[in-house]
Amino acid sequence: MRILAAWLIRAQFRTRRAATLLSMLAIALGVALGYSIHLINEAALADFARAMKTVQGEPDAVIAARDSAGGVPLPLLDEISSDPAVLIAAPVIETRVRIGSQRTPLRLIGIDVFSAPALMPALLPRDAERAATGGILDGGLYASPALLGELGLQAGATLTLLRGDQRWVATIRGDLPAAGRDDLLLVADIAWVQEHFGPADAVSEIRIRLAADSDLAGWRERVAASLPPALLLRVAEDDGERASNLSRAYRVNLNVLALVALLTGAFLVFATQLTAVAQRSTQFALLGVLGLPPRMRLLQVLLEGLAIGLPGALFGLVLGYALAMAFTRLLGGDLGGGYFAGNVPVIVPRLLPAAGFLLLGCAASLAGAAYPAWLNLRQPLVAALNNGFTAHPQRARERGRQLLLPAALALLAGGLLQLPALSGVPLAAYIAIALVLFIGVAGAPLLTQEIFGRAAGLRLPAPQRIALQNVAQAPLMAQVAASGLIVSFALTASMVIMVSSFRVAVDQWLDHVLPAPLYLRGKASPLPQELLTALERPEAPFLRVERSAHGSLTLDPRRPPVALLVRELDRDDPAARLPFTGAVLVPPAEMPVVWISEAMHEIYGSRPGQTLRLPVLGREVEVFVGGIWRDYARQFGAIVISREDHQRLGGDFRPNDLALWPRPGQEGAAGDWLAAQVAAHGLEVASSGAIRRLSLSIFDKSFAVTYALEAAAMVIGVFGLAVTLTASVWLRARELATLAALGFDQRMLRHSLMLEGALIAGIGLLLGLACGIAIGAVLTHVVNPQAFHWRMPLDVPWLALLAGAAATLAAAILASRQAARQATRLPLAQVLASSQ
Amino acid sequence: MLTVTGLARRHRQASRALFTDLALSVAAGEIVALVGESGIGKSTLLNCIAGLDTPDSGSIAIGSPAVDIVRLDEAARAALRARSIGFVFQAFHVLPTLTVAQNIGVPLLLAGVLPAEHAPRTQALLDDVGLAGFADRWPASLSGGELQRVAIARALVHRPRLILADEPTGNLDPRTAGQVLALLLERVREQGASALIVTHSRHVAESCDRILTLTPQGLE
Repeated sequence: MRILAAWLIRAQFRTRRAATLLSMLAIALGVALGYSIHLINEAALADFARAMKTVQGEPDAVIAARDSAGGVPLPLLDEISSDPAVLIAAPVIETRVRIGSQRTPLRLIGIDVFSAPALMPALLPRDAERAATGGILDGGLYASPALLGELGLQAGATLTLLRGDQRWVATIRGDLPAAGRDDLLLVADIAWVQEHFGPADAVSEIRIRLAADSDLAGWRERVAASLPPALLLRVAEDDGERASNLSRAYRVNLNVLALVALLTGAFLVFATQLTAVAQRSTQFALLGVLGLPPRMRLLQVLLEGLAIGLPGALFGLVLGYALAMAFTRLLGGDLGGGYFAGNVPVIVPRLLPAAGFLLLGCAASLAGAAYPAWLNLRQPLVAALNNGFTAHPQRARERGRQLLLPAALALLAGGLLQLPALSGVPLAAYIAIALVLFIGVAGAPLLTQEIFGRAAGLRLPAPQRIALQNVAQAPLMAQVAASGLIVSFALTASMVIMVSSFRVAVDQWLDHVLPAPLYLRGKASPLPQELLTALERPEAPFLRVERSAHGSLTLDPRRPPVALLVRELDRDDPAARLPFTGAVLVPPAEMPVVWISEAMHEIYGSRPGQTLRLPVLGREVEVFVGGIWRDYARQFGAIVISREDHQRLGGDFRPNDLALWPRPGQEGAAGDWLAAQVAAHGLEVASSGAIRRLSLSIFDKSFAVTYALEAAAMVIGVFGLAVTLTASVWLRARELATLAALGFDQRMLRHSLMLEGALIAGIGLLLGLACGIAIGAVLTHVVNPQAFHWRMPLDVPWLALLAGAAATLAAAILASRQAARQATRLPLAQVLASSQ
Repeated sequence: MLTVTGLARRHRQASRALFTDLALSVAAGEIVALVGESGIGKSTLLNCIAGLDTPDSGSIAIGSPAVDIVRLDEAARAALRARSIGFVFQAFHVLPTLTVAQNIGVPLLLAGVLPAEHAPRTQALLDDVGLAGFADRWPASLSGGELQRVAIARALVHRPRLILADEPTGNLDPRTAGQVLALLLERVREQGASALIVTHSRHVAESCDRILTLTPQGLE
């Protein structure tokens, strides 16, 4: 049997080369994309973990403030150090500083040279010269080799470090030999960092190594319970999960694109195998008559599917590896997502994930071959032997049954859309998307009969009439030919709708969040007091200045921190500055009010009217949730509090961003004024127009890869149609030869077949568009909120979609010319003479 | 070799009886011709005997010890066909994507004959049917007579006990038909197999050991 199976597979590959290669390519593309995304993300996470290990070492636990503006009080360090379960407690102060007028702040890490070696060996400095004085304890500064390379400096150079109004002039005494090749770091003694940049009575973190016989879980429970609410205790697993959470949604989105290709591949395998089964039904029937067991007729088609999927998936793995290498070089480890620092991670392929993706490719191919295999099993042997494969027209009484499957699938999809995300992954929604595609493909015969069955009765010239009748009478073949197009156009249309909805929403959102003409940013560093004071002087060319301070709060150690934005806005009219999604509640008079972003609402379940206990300013503070606002900038949640409330709570307002309204007629002077400040303090200034352009250009860039994939999917879909139509010409050789014998000339045959191609493509595009809109709505209203916590109204770009459909229809008609040419080249006399 | 008892089968669409209480037997080594008008049910009877069609009632015992093919499930029928039955069709039915030798070798694969025996048996039959040197040819390059010789070789290669032939010369010119018929009968007799040949040709029928005529009243 194995020999026979191999003969048949070889014969299939020989006779249907184009269709087979196309299916293989589509499977390869799906596997390649999925695998490359996996490789890139794994490498980026490993790189991120390595970078974290460099800076943080490998402590068993870390105690840190939940509020980025806070710290761990020094008395707690003494207490932890004296805990018998603790072997080492290493205090660290980490801050961001600027070097002179450099715009990007750098990490400055203050370490305790006595406790750090055991926990953070990668931060150990190396003195350029073994001097008796001037080392780390004497205020020496140490830079990572990457930073020294970037600044073009060597040991002995003097640097001016700036943070707001604080400054420290220090000398580089050496480098950090164990730092990673991309790490940009400065290390100094903790006491010196504290003296110049604070905080005076606290440290940023305490990194802890427990004694060998300590029970980490028990100790964690005990210490966490005793910590004040403003502090948190996190362990190594929390860090790993947080890093994974950072990029999960982005990863999921890219994986969907890989699934697009894989699904298109599966449907192409379906079309290839179904036409192959139809074409060879007489042969399979003969084999059945000769004694081929029924299960082998089923298995043979599945094996042929596997013979497409396996090499396709293997090629996909190789291609995926190459893509991963290319993408990381071009876009970095987060593919431009901005989650990890812009390093180029090292791609290391591993056996298990590779085997997983290989299996996925094979499974997609097998899934595509399953229905044709079942049909092959169901073909009655004698009828197939004598008459070949006949896709019997469905009788009217079966219409109800035909509707049952799509209706049941639609109900199931509707149910799935009500389910929440699974560990942040909108799995149920993805299954619903696959079901929508199945509904589209399953509904093709019904729609074909409904539309063309009626039209076939019209009085038309013979070629048109024959074309209409062929499509109406063989809806299964129309389904096969259209399936690739339905899937590829549906997925393309859905992505276009989703991206358009997102872009329109971001555009409108930018209108609301960028009310001022000019913005000045200090990045992570507070703005110098000198600048803030100058702005308040009457001669400053600004009519209005709104200041804001950005920090962060860690509400859950396993999740990335939530942004805390202290803004100068009217507590009674926050809607003037924030784009609220619903009602804005009036807070109780004496209670501070916060307004939370949609992501904060989705991730932590906070709701307007609720009272939250936030760990800010070294304690837990009760705040009232006044409303939910739309924020497309911070995926992990944001909380806005007014400066007035923040100060009432005892907060120290140190702004790092400014929104500026120049005085009318003084726009030029305002620009000059700001240019001087930018040069003096290394700040960033941009107009609202420039920020808008930059934001939209980043948006377009991050979705550029989807356009390439959509184009690839459409090309595959059109080729699939061409291949199926060509196959159907051979399948209907006798019918075409009979038409020729009855007086159809070559032109009429060609017209008839091209019209058939156009009608099938029309059905495919119509169903593809309907499915695309449905999937677009699922992506916009379910997948985006579940994966990214972003909501937006649906925007269907009709013009782009109809233009795309028209272009695809034209391509399909051109592609069907190939089939028409084949028909005119048929050896008609031979075909008529032969009954095979 | 073949015993049909009480066989009944209704026409599926017209809902009339094709045949009722039909009985026939073919002895080991006997070649029987089955004749009758078009649409009378000859091919249906042949399909029932091959287990490709299911009668409404009756039994069809094949081989020794006898196996009632009607009582078998589809997989067992296929296995019985693979082991014990050879087929020759009017339309040749040669697989166009396999070479001549591969076509002839298919029943050996299905019957589970040891691979070592495939080449010698195939070559011997190619020589016997006058197609020596055709082993690697594709069916598309063969004439109708040559295709039917391939089909005869394929029907005999696994040494079945029963050959079922449906109009084996129906698509051939008289001269070629005569040659192919002679070849078929000679090889069947040489192997000691039994055969049931459905035909419209008086010449073919008269070349067989016995003639059965299917009429609306039954077999005569």
